[in-house]
Amino acid sequence: MKYILLMSGTKAGVDTYVAWSKKDIDAHMTVLKCLNKELTESGEFVGTEGLARPDQAIVVRGQKAGMPITDGIFPEAKEFLLGYWIVDVKTRERAYEIASRISIAPGPGGVPTNMPIEVRQIVSLSAKS
Amino acid sequence: MKYILMMNGTKAHFSEYAKWSKKDMEANVAFMRAFSKQLKDEGVYVATEGLGWPDQAKLVRADKDGTPITDGVFPESKEFLAGYWIVDVESPEQAYKIAARASAAPGPGGASSNVPIEVRQVLGSHSDLGL
Repeated sequence: MKYILLMSGTKAGVDTYVAWSKKDIDAHMTVLKCLNKELTESGEFVGTEGLARPDQAIVVRGQKAGMPITDGIFPEAKEFLLGYWIVDVKTRERAYEIASRISIAPGPGGVPTNMPIEVRQIVSLSAKS
Repeated sequence: MKYILMMNGTKAHFSEYAKWSKKDMEANVAFMRAFSKQLKDEGVYVATEGLGWPDQAKLVRADKDGTPITDGVFPESKEFLAGYWIVDVESPEQAYKIAARASAAPGPGGASSNVPIEVRQVLGSHSDLGL
């Protein structure tokens, strides 16, 4: 079963993150890289991506002619996706375990960020229909 | 440049979707399948995934000893990711055009669903954040 682990945050949260010291950011990234490596070795790793900063986010709708209408205005409270991991695991509990590992990645001063990680199962279109 | 096109919705939106007629839902799914195929033919397709319903979503943190703590309580206003496409394109404008096509997917009675699609660049590496 494939699960997606979503890390989200508000613009304010992202501003806080980019203000971390280089040392704190490096320590954080080292832990996440090690986790990716571990998941690759266990055969559970499917993919991971990080997204650009929320201030570059755009919402698009289609006009009648099909031309895009773009808008970059979001409510302050909006939670933006910052990045995700996709894992292929035997049980839902294993996905939660991996999510908790991401949640304890170190933040400023080495203290775990304790960020909540949203866990969702991935379904194929054919399974949904 | 890689961009992710995301479809988000509140639980209320998902509940509305679940009430669509079988015919409307089939038309929507057929559109989505054809859309993915078109993106492949155009050479811009990287990936697409659909996510399970929000009522199965969990938020996970770790206990002091590292044990996962799960919680499934979300605010009513929370936007859940329904699914996404990742495309590899030459410009943001090209990504917006593709997003507009996804937004025009048929809804009830075949009318355009006009769903908002959030477009974000996917980072090649963490250093792209400019840190």
